[in-house]
Amino acid sequence: MRIPLSWLNDYVSLEGVSPRELADRLTFSGLEIEGIETIGSDYKGCVAAEVTAIRPHPNADKLRLVTVARGAEAPLEVVCGAPNVELGMKVALATIGAVLANGLVIKPAKIRGVPSSGMLCAEDELGLSADHGGLLRLPAEAVPGTPLSKILGPPEAVLVAEVTPNRPDCLSLIGIAREVGALLGRPVKRPSVEAPETGAPAAARIAVAIEDPELCPRYTARLLTGLAVGPSPEWMKKRLQLAGLRAISNVVDITNYVMLECGHPLHAFDLRRVRGERIVVRRARDGEVMKTLDGVERKLGARMLMICDAERPVALAGIMGGEESGIADDTAEVLLESACFQPAGIRWTSKALGLTSESAYRFERGADVLGADWAGRRAAALMAAHAGATIARGSVDAFPTPPRKKRVTLRFSRARDLLGMPLEPAVMTAIFRSLELGLAAADAESVTVEVPTFRVDLAQEVDLIEEVARIHGLDRIPAPAPTARLVPDATDRPVRARLEISRQLAGLGLCEIMNYTFTSDKLLNLFDPGGAAGRVKLPNPISADQTILRPSLIPQLVETLGRNRSRQRAEAALFEAGRVFTLKADGSFAETDMVALGLMGKAGRGVMDRGQAPGEEESFAWLKGLLESVCATLRVPVRRAGGMRLANPVFESAELPWAEPGMGARVLLNGTVCGVAGVLRSSIAREWRITEPVAVAELDAAMLGGHVFDVPASRPIPAYPSVERDVALIVAESVRYEDILQAILKQAPGELRQVRLFDVYRGEHVGPGRKSMACTLTYQSHEKTLTDEEANGYHNSIKAGIASDLQAEIRE
Amino acid sequence: MKANDIQELKRQALDEAAAAPTADALEAVRVKYLGRKGLLPDIMTGLKDMDPAERPLAGRYANELKQELGDTLAVRREAIEAAGRAAHRAPFDGTLPGNWRACGSRHPVSQVIEEAVRIFHGLGFTVADGPDLETEWHNFDALNTPADHPSRDVQDTFWLNDKTLLRTQTSPVQIRVMEGRRPPVRIIAPGRCYRRDTTDATHSANFHQIEGLYVDRQVSMADLKGDITHFAREMMGADVKVRFRPHFFPFTEPSVEYDFSCHMCKGAGCRVCKQSGWIEISGAGMVNPRVFANVGYEPEAFTGYAFGMGVERIAMIKFGIEDIRLLYENDVRFLEQFS
Ligand SMILES: [Zn+2]
Repeated sequence: MRIPLSWLNDYVSLEGVSPRELADRLTFSGLEIEGIETIGSDYKGCVAAEVTAIRPHPNADKLRLVTVARGAEAPLEVVCGAPNVELGMKVALATIGAVLANGLVIKPAKIRGVPSSGMLCAEDELGLSADHGGLLRLPAEAVPGTPLSKILGPPEAVLVAEVTPNRPDCLSLIGIAREVGALLGRPVKRPSVEAPETGAPAAARIAVAIEDPELCPRYTARLLTGLAVGPSPEWMKKRLQLAGLRAISNVVDITNYVMLECGHPLHAFDLRRVRGERIVVRRARDGEVMKTLDGVERKLGARMLMICDAERPVALAGIMGGEESGIADDTAEVLLESACFQPAGIRWTSKALGLTSESAYRFERGADVLGADWAGRRAAALMAAHAGATIARGSVDAFPTPPRKKRVTLRFSRARDLLGMPLEPAVMTAIFRSLELGLAAADAESVTVEVPTFRVDLAQEVDLIEEVARIHGLDRIPAPAPTARLVPDATDRPVRARLEISRQLAGLGLCEIMNYTFTSDKLLNLFDPGGAAGRVKLPNPISADQTILRPSLIPQLVETLGRNRSRQRAEAALFEAGRVFTLKADGSFAETDMVALGLMGKAGRGVMDRGQAPGEEESFAWLKGLLESVCATLRVPVRRAGGMRLANPVFESAELPWAEPGMGARVLLNGTVCGVAGVLRSSIAREWRITEPVAVAELDAAMLGGHVFDVPASRPIPAYPSVERDVALIVAESVRYEDILQAILKQAPGELRQVRLFDVYRGEHVGPGRKSMACTLTYQSHEKTLTDEEANGYHNSIKAGIASDLQAEIRE
Repeated sequence: MKANDIQELKRQALDEAAAAPTADALEAVRVKYLGRKGLLPDIMTGLKDMDPAERPLAGRYANELKQELGDTLAVRREAIEAAGRAAHRAPFDGTLPGNWRACGSRHPVSQVIEEAVRIFHGLGFTVADGPDLETEWHNFDALNTPADHPSRDVQDTFWLNDKTLLRTQTSPVQIRVMEGRRPPVRIIAPGRCYRRDTTDATHSANFHQIEGLYVDRQVSMADLKGDITHFAREMMGADVKVRFRPHFFPFTEPSVEYDFSCHMCKGAGCRVCKQSGWIEISGAGMVNPRVFANVGYEPEAFTGYAFGMGVERIAMIKFGIEDIRLLYENDVRFLEQFS
């Protein structure tokens, strides 16, 4: 909503209040002022001039040499490029030394070799608008040589307000004046609507029937005869332009002017085009069509409310008139509509047709049903004054069910409690009075307000408390230091456990990423070609690559690795904590919090250890190590076998659609599958030109973080020293470390505490198809210091067991 | 011998020990004074013949000689040995690059969430959670959103079917928490939200909010102002100011929007605050009694405040990030800045 301040000043005095001050007062009372525009300037050095001669420019086709007369002073020749310059035209001339609104200083100049001693101005150069389409055309009666400021007036300040949808009353200058009056404590003046109604009674000629009173609670019609369509007076054109509307003709401009003034949209029909001189407000019939004022043929539907004449639709109720029934140059009789329409109906129709207008904008927020008559009278009075209209006596007012009076009571103590500040009853009632809310009753404890129909937003006690707060000033409500209050039985451990996972992963050196929830079948199919059935599809996606709610964090994680790879990051250790979505067989949706990790390249190596490219086993081992560390820091219970602690989680070999064959695993915690891990298929990695191994895992966050709040139990530390013994064995390549571990465990005495692999070797010393693996075994007793003989005894039987179980050659 | 002679002897011994150039020379000093036939045993034997008046002092001095010389010998011995070790070793290069695994980093959005959780924990708020896939009831109806409100449109909201949608705000968590328990309620709820906005420098179709809700018997707008102001100072800096402007939201009444004074320029005007000195943060207000009625709380008995804030927005102004898309591009070079 644009608020020209010179216009607003008609209704409430703005004397002594700067535009900036006014903007702040309004913003801090709930009418947000987004900008203050200054239209025009003091036009120093600019005068009116008349074009007296036009010659072609000798060196440029698009330029012309224009001679202008400027009263007493000698005529000037200026170079001009505007397309609309013509003989006899009155133009704005900036003489040498003038400073234009855009800061340009006019100096003597040669343009393409011809001297120019001034400039003819377009609207943008004068700060009137952004228009640079041609020269500003001054009124024909402008006298050459007159300072421009005398013709265009002083610069105008316009506030640009963003009106919240609950305050349609502020979509008008009088509504805003009411706010200003309340804030500044100044009276609000309304213009007169008194005008002699000298015509025959309106009801004798025109008739109105409302067939759908739910969608149209009121329809008033006035009749104006003998009018002449022509241009509006300059002041009205200027005000409309400042408010952002284009001037069209006096009749149309007056309906717009009154709408901006009081907020009530009006419509003027050419009575010749209203068949039967009768208005019927009804829903459209299926298949009906009508061409609206904008020239578009509209297909109408049965939910749309139409203004019809005796035969067919003449306007889309509250939104736009029909082209045929609009005001023409020769219109002499006008049926002036001032009606009220149900907001929801207008909103629906406007949306269904993709058609909006100043009128629809106001009706869909709620117009003042009791204000309809005033608006009609005001427009009629203006048409009498500026279009020579004769006003028919009275109006036709179809108003089936006038609204009941709405009363709301405010308890003073409730207002004080809710706002948290002391407030005198007199202060509150004065605020209501200043806002033109009727006071129906008052006592020491409360006041009852009769809500005027223009305030569609006031329905409950809290609405009145808000009026008090915003007019009194939110800045006057105290902001005390907070008081910490605990809610004894409230718990947030599950959420905090998830946050803890991210903290630990960052602590372990991973970089947290965040991807969109939306992804595409194309990306997902790369990772899981058979998974389409379980995906949640968006019926109204925003773009073709954002059609699916991600069922896994892995595809985007790998995509992110690839994006970084293309930006010269050949190694990265990333994680994301986020939600994934799946479609269940019964059609319902499931959402789960997951955590995904991805390692690319030499992410697990130290700074100095860069020589060799990492292998898949090495990458996978880093991933395992990370998961083991994070499980430990998240207090996942320790796994034990005999006297030994074993690593958590457990990796169970499994084929995964995105993992290189043989390089995938299910990840188990406490015997339950909680996720997957594996080395990315090189065919997928190639999509992003990743040549380094990529190890990826995805785990259920609730399971992973399920023990964060467990309390670790203290155990006594061993009282007796431990004994270490190494074993080195040569086995076939097919023997896995787990096989060796199991063979050791099979023979292990209760005194075996730990098995630690410290070397894997392949090469000429062990021969082809075989490898050497070396482990340190730690023995320790809870009862005594182990002797060498005892330790050797345990160790030898383990070695013998491995040798026979795995056909291993034990190296001594 | 007099007590003072022992003092003199101590000085001499300490000087000799400190000056001994080699391990052998040092050993010679030790033998000279502390050896079985050295000077100290002599003194000890001589004590009994001394003037009884002077004897205690002499005894103390003798013990000091033994103690201090022993200490000096040990220090000097380690110095001689260290010099010897260094002579047999390649030079030590302490300028080699540090070698430990890289430090990780939290995403800026997570950092803001963690920080908000920390601040509100301090005030006794707990963290609540709700689903991303919401019902129309929790996301709109219960929050007093009019049935034909534009935010419900398929233009603005991602609907999965006619009952389920991707939540457009974290406010439905308010409803879920209130449906699940009686007051007092004191929660914040960080989470992802979705709107059909075209992505640009300041909009993203998925984004994060932090919802706050406090319901009890005497919660006031003053509490809201105080708590938000505390949050602003903890999050953005101790000298940040907060201002409140009336606004409109269906689920609060009165409703406000609030701005923080610019932490970058201290209110003088800069790029981050678009020269205004203030940064628009988000909306808040007193819970609309209709919302209480929708969750079965007695609107007469309880009052409460609620607020919601955009996490990306706070992260962008806190860290000076100019384009929201950087937050979802996951360029490691960008993210590592926030370690
Ligand atoms: Zn700033």
